[in-house]
Amino acid sequence: MRSRNGDRPFIRSICTTIIVSSLSFLNAQEYLISYRYVAKNALSYNESFHVSHAMTQCGSQSYEPLILENTDNNNLKATLLKNFDLFFDYAKKLGLHVRHEEHTLNHQSSAFTTLTLKTTCFKVEFNDSFVIIQALK
Amino acid sequence: MSRDNTMKHSLLLAALLSASTIYAQEGETATTTLVPTPSHIVIECKSQECVQQAQETLKSNAKASEEEVLAPNKEVRISVVGQGVAPMNTISPAQAYALAKRAAVADAYRLIAEKVKGVRVDGQDLIQNMMVKRSSIRTSVDAMIRDANIVETIFKEGLCEVEMEIVLSYAQFVQQ
Repeated sequence: MRSRNGDRPFIRSICTTIIVSSLSFLNAQEYLISYRYVAKNALSYNESFHVSHAMTQCGSQSYEPLILENTDNNNLKATLLKNFDLFFDYAKKLGLHVRHEEHTLNHQSSAFTTLTLKTTCFKVEFNDSFVIIQALK
Repeated sequence: MSRDNTMKHSLLLAALLSASTIYAQEGETATTTLVPTPSHIVIECKSQECVQQAQETLKSNAKASEEEVLAPNKEVRISVVGQGVAPMNTISPAQAYALAKRAAVADAYRLIAEKVKGVRVDGQDLIQNMMVKRSSIRTSVDAMIRDANIVETIFKEGLCEVEMEIVLSYAQFVQQ
């Protein structure tokens, strides 16, 4: 007859792994992020940055993750604004839409340049000290 | 006697006229040869190094004149320098730098889009009583740019210059 305590440490480690992984999976949330920047005559004119929870489920395929330091108590917008240069570099890999319009009227010109990150779904996972962000396709 | 004199005069006149025409032709040829043409470049070289340098410069000039075409198994690197100006009413120099850099990045994106995709130009002139009353030119660019990299950022006297580059490959266009 097999002893009752024989496989206990092994089973316990498996259970712990499953529970931790499921918790981390449940902890991952989906956010919609959009960014828009407008420059008028080579001067910053307007900038908008929107972050909101996704109400519907996004796609499953994801890009490479961006890991940021979690300093703002699970507040994604504050974390992203604090590390905006890193997030902007990440957004550049996803692709930015550029639109430029220049109007010359009687030899006097004015120009508008708009840089847009279209509303994109991100999977965000908050850990104790890090925020892992992954864009979803 | 008078007949001989007139003959002499007419001969002299003819000689003078022919001489003047010949001189004028010579002058014309001289002016045409003076006009420099780009196909004639004279480089005087005495050493072998000089000859090699001249050959290299000629090759580079020929390459520069050729238009770069995206071919299979070949990458094209496009580099631009975007400029942005810091606003006057900023709280700190850091804010001025950040805003100028962002404007420069947007400008660099615009330049890349212009190079890769091209510019749409619309022009309209209103002429009334043989005078231009209103002249309007609209240019626009619309593009999606992925994987553009900032190579260098220079901030000097309120002007920020961002050097940005993008690598285009044939495969990227085939997939889309």
